[in-house]
Amino acid sequence: MGKVIVVTSGKGGVGKTTSTANLGTALALLGKTVVVVDADVGLRNLDIVMGLESRIVYTSMDVIEKQCELGKALVKDRRVDGLTLLAASQKNNKDDIQPEQMKAICDKLKASHDFVLIDSPAGIERGFINASAGADEAIIVTTPDVSAIRDADRIIGLLQHAGIEPINLVLNRFSPQLVGNGSMMDQEDVLDILNIDLIGIVPEDTGVITSTNRGIPLVYEDASPGSQAYMRIARRLTGQRIPIPDLEQKGFLSNIVNWFTRNR
Amino acid sequence: MANSIVAIRAYRDGLHLIIRPHLSIAEVEEAIQQEMSRMNQPLVGASVQIDLKCPLLKAEEMAYLKSKLQETYNLTVRSIEAFDEQAPPPIAAAPTTHALPQRTEMPNNSRDSEPSRIIPYTIRSGQTEDFPQGSLIIYGDVNSGAEVRAGGDIVVLGALRGNAHAGINGRLSAVVIAMDLVPVQLQIGNFISRRPINQKPRGYPEIARIGVEDVIIVEKFVKF
Repeated sequence: MGKVIVVTSGKGGVGKTTSTANLGTALALLGKTVVVVDADVGLRNLDIVMGLESRIVYTSMDVIEKQCELGKALVKDRRVDGLTLLAASQKNNKDDIQPEQMKAICDKLKASHDFVLIDSPAGIERGFINASAGADEAIIVTTPDVSAIRDADRIIGLLQHAGIEPINLVLNRFSPQLVGNGSMMDQEDVLDILNIDLIGIVPEDTGVITSTNRGIPLVYEDASPGSQAYMRIARRLTGQRIPIPDLEQKGFLSNIVNWFTRNR
Repeated sequence: MANSIVAIRAYRDGLHLIIRPHLSIAEVEEAIQQEMSRMNQPLVGASVQIDLKCPLLKAEEMAYLKSKLQETYNLTVRSIEAFDEQAPPPIAAAPTTHALPQRTEMPNNSRDSEPSRIIPYTIRSGQTEDFPQGSLIIYGDVNSGAEVRAGGDIVVLGALRGNAHAGINGRLSAVVIAMDLVPVQLQIGNFISRRPINQKPRGYPEIARIGVEDVIIVEKFVKF
């Protein structure tokens, strides 16, 4: 029996789909069986980021309408063993799916996979409710800016109300330079407000843009800092204890202060 | 120093003499004398409106006050208005120097007799807590986008980053206390104040209440 994890944020554009694609691929690279589910009915994107859009025949809507078996709708990723995608219908609307139907799909999927990652749409309406209906756990993706954090806070409240636990935080697009010169919130500020467990920090990485456009998740490139961050998060999801490296780049002055205090 | 019983204010329609709760007419008289002595230029021949922010004066007290103002300061009383905002009756003990005389407890409206609700978690964006019956105590934060409303006081044992409204039934003696007091908006009774732009947490608890000057003031919280 695996577990269903919803990847959500409230605000759009903070990296839910990118995180789902990379964490799903990373977990499969670690030898787990994974299915990534696109819950963004009508605005699907996960298939593009995964590079699987040309191979979709059936969607979750077809499964619900009993046009096909669930197993047949899962698109196999040929680059890595154990990774499949359940696409969302692009023709339908989010109201065409009921939360119970989504939960039934999640329950079936987790019986045969180690991880079911659900890519939630932005917002707090029906799309989000459907995405989190079958979830056991949640990953909140946020960027270190006040509007994303306020939305994340709202989502955490809703998830806690629904009894989804644990809720882990991925701090995305973190820029050590900007934190160093004081123009970005640091991780303590974010955690102070959201008050949930941090599962990883993904640094700002322009490689994400090219990887999205090419349909090859970042984790296939070993050297990129974003890739390494996602691999570490995936390892933590499998239960390994890996410390979160301190990405903050301290200013010149505080480096000197640190040097002195260290040598005391 | 501002006077806690009497204030003289210039408004658009002329001078106002504001009288707040007090023990005796002699105390009012003394307060007027103090207030007058603070002026750089004496008020001569002016007309004032008396704003009563206290229980109504007796007729003979009012007559005495009017004649006193006329004789001593040559002030004519233009009109009298009562602004009795649930003002408590005068209390027996003399008010201490810095205390808020109008806050020293009224028997039917006190913190002792009304209920409090304890919220043992953080209130997040989009969530509200409403407790018109009494005071709210929050073991956690009130985040940006969240709202807390109480008939009495609001005490946040964490950071207050959202909106808070104490004294929603109009009680002006209500206070808001937080370990980090950085709300977006803060209301006490029908008074409202807004966070200054880019206010940073100060690192010590603060209390917000309505001061003598009828504005919400925030100061370091030491003790009740």
